[in-house]
Amino acid sequence: MEIKREDIIHLAGLSNISLEEGEIEGLTKDLQSIIRYISQLDELNTDDVEPTYQVFEMENVWREDEVLPQDASREELLALTKEEKDNQIKVPKVL
Amino acid sequence: MKYIPTIGIECHVQLSTKTKLFSEVDNDARGKEPNSCVSPVDYALPGMLPRLNGEAIKFAVRAGRAMNCEINRSSRFDRKHYFYPDSPKGYQITQFYHPIIGAGYVLLPSGTQIRIEHAHLEGDAGKLTHFDSYSLVDLNRVDTPLIEIVSQPDIHSAKDAHDYCKELWRLMRYAGVTYGDLYNGNMRFDVNVSLAPEGSEKLGTRAEVKNLNSFRSVERAVEYEIKRQTKILEAGEKVVQETRGWSDATGETTGQRSKEEAKDYRYMPEPDIPPINLSAEFIEEQLKDFPLMPADYREKFGEIIAGDTLEVLLDYPELMQKLDEVKNVKLMSNLFASVLLAEEKSAEYLNDLPSAEDLNTLAEMNAAKELSSTATKEVFLRLFDPQMKGRGARNIAKELGLIQENDLGALEAIVDAVLAKPETAKAQDDFRNGEEKVIGFLVGQVMKESKGKANPSAVQQILREKLTK
Repeated sequence: MEIKREDIIHLAGLSNISLEEGEIEGLTKDLQSIIRYISQLDELNTDDVEPTYQVFEMENVWREDEVLPQDASREELLALTKEEKDNQIKVPKVL
Repeated sequence: MKYIPTIGIECHVQLSTKTKLFSEVDNDARGKEPNSCVSPVDYALPGMLPRLNGEAIKFAVRAGRAMNCEINRSSRFDRKHYFYPDSPKGYQITQFYHPIIGAGYVLLPSGTQIRIEHAHLEGDAGKLTHFDSYSLVDLNRVDTPLIEIVSQPDIHSAKDAHDYCKELWRLMRYAGVTYGDLYNGNMRFDVNVSLAPEGSEKLGTRAEVKNLNSFRSVERAVEYEIKRQTKILEAGEKVVQETRGWSDATGETTGQRSKEEAKDYRYMPEPDIPPINLSAEFIEEQLKDFPLMPADYREKFGEIIAGDTLEVLLDYPELMQKLDEVKNVKLMSNLFASVLLAEEKSAEYLNDLPSAEDLNTLAEMNAAKELSSTATKEVFLRLFDPQMKGRGARNIAKELGLIQENDLGALEAIVDAVLAKPETAKAQDDFRNGEEKVIGFLVGQVMKESKGKANPSAVQQILREKLTK
C-alpha cells in the first residue's frame, strides 16, 4: 500500500488538523514506514484464526442503572474550555 | 417514464434508562441546566473508562423483540471516529461489526411488511446551538443510550414512510424502552430516498435527508425528494449522492456536506468494553412479561373495534393494556374513543386510568340497563375525576341519581302497588278486553310511583305478564 500526499491531506482534514506545506512530505514518509512495518504481519496465514477483539477473557461487564454523584462539576468542565458562554462551551461556528 | 421511489429509514431512539450508556450520570436532562448532567467519562478526560449500563442491554432485547428481530447472542462495541464539537471524545461508541439486534420486520397498519436490517446500541452526541458567529455546545446529551434501527429499502411511498416511523414509535413505547417524546427529539429519523425507472432492477442514486423529528416531516420530506429527483431525472441529469437538510418552514430539502465514506470513520473495536455474550436464559428473562404489540391488538380486536377507532386508540399503550383487561371491549373502546380522547384533558387523564374492576362494573350496569347510554358516559368520565374515582362506579352512579330501577323484585312491588289502586282498575279491565294502548297509561303510573327511576321497558314487560295471567 502506497501512501500519497493526498492521503495525508485527507486524513488531516478528517482530524481537523492544519499542516504546514513542509510537514506533509515528512508525514507521508513516516506513515509509509509505519505501514510497511505493520505489513510484515500480512506474511502470516490467519485463515483459520478467529479475530482478536480483546486480550482479556472478560465478557458482560455491566453496571447497575443507578445515578451516582459525579466528582467533577460543571465549573470544572467549563474551566477546561477556551471560551464559555451561558454555561455552554463556545466554539467557532460550525454547520 | 414512470419512476418508482425506494426508501430506507434509519431511526434513532433515545432509551429511557436512569443513567447514560457509559457513565452513572442522570440520563433525564429535560428541563436541566446545560452541561449539568455530564461526567468526565462523557467528555473523555484522559484515563476515564466507559462503564456499560446493563439496563440498556435489557432494553435492547425488548426493543428487538418488538420488531420481531433476532437477538444476537454475541455483540460488541466499536469506535467510530469523526471530528466535530458535539463529541469531545473524537469518536462515537457504537456497534458497527456486531450489533445486538439482528434481522426482523415491522408490520404497518395496512399489513405491509417492512424488514429490519439490524439495530444497534450507541451513545448520542452533544447538542449544538448555532448563532451568527459562533456555536454553543451542551454535553448533557452525550452518551444518552440510543438504539439505531436500520430498515431495508422496503418502503415505496411517502405514506408508508410516515406509517413506518409511527409504528416504530408505537412499538418502542409498547416495549417500554423510550418516553417517545418527539417534541424533545426522543426519536429522530434519517430518510434515504432514491428513484429508479419502473421495472428497473437497479436502484437509483440516493439522497439522505437527516434529522427529521416528526412523522409529518418524514412524509413531507419524502414527497419533496420524490418531486425533486423526478425533475432531475426527467431533465436527463443525475441525482447527486449527498446528505440533505429539511426545513419545516420552507417545506424543502437543501444540500449539506458531502457524505463521509464508511472507511473515513476508521472504525475499530472499542478496547474498553468487553463483548456482550447473552445466554438464552437471560434473553428469556427479559421477555417473560413482554406485553402485546399493536399487531397483536389488531389481530385480537380487529373484529370488535372499527379499524379507524382502533388506530387512534393504538397510540396509547396504557389504554390498550386496559382494554385487554376489561370484559366489554366494544363498549369501553367506544367510551375511550368518543368520550375520553375527545376531551382536551385526555393526555393527563391517560396517566391514571380507572381500574378494570370499575370499568367492568360500569359495563355491567350498562348491560343491565341500570344506566342509560348518556348516564354511562357521565359515570365513565367521573371515573377519571380525582375527587370521585376512589368511590367506585356504582357509588358514583348512585350519588348522581343516574341508576334506572331494574330490580325486578323492587319493580314488581311498585307495579303491584299501582295495580292495587282503585283508579287503575278500569284501565286494567280495558287492557284485558284487548285495548292495547292503555298499557301506556299504566306504565306512566308506575314511572310516577318510582319517581322516574324505573326502566320503562322492564315495567311494561312486568305489567303485561301480570295482566295476562
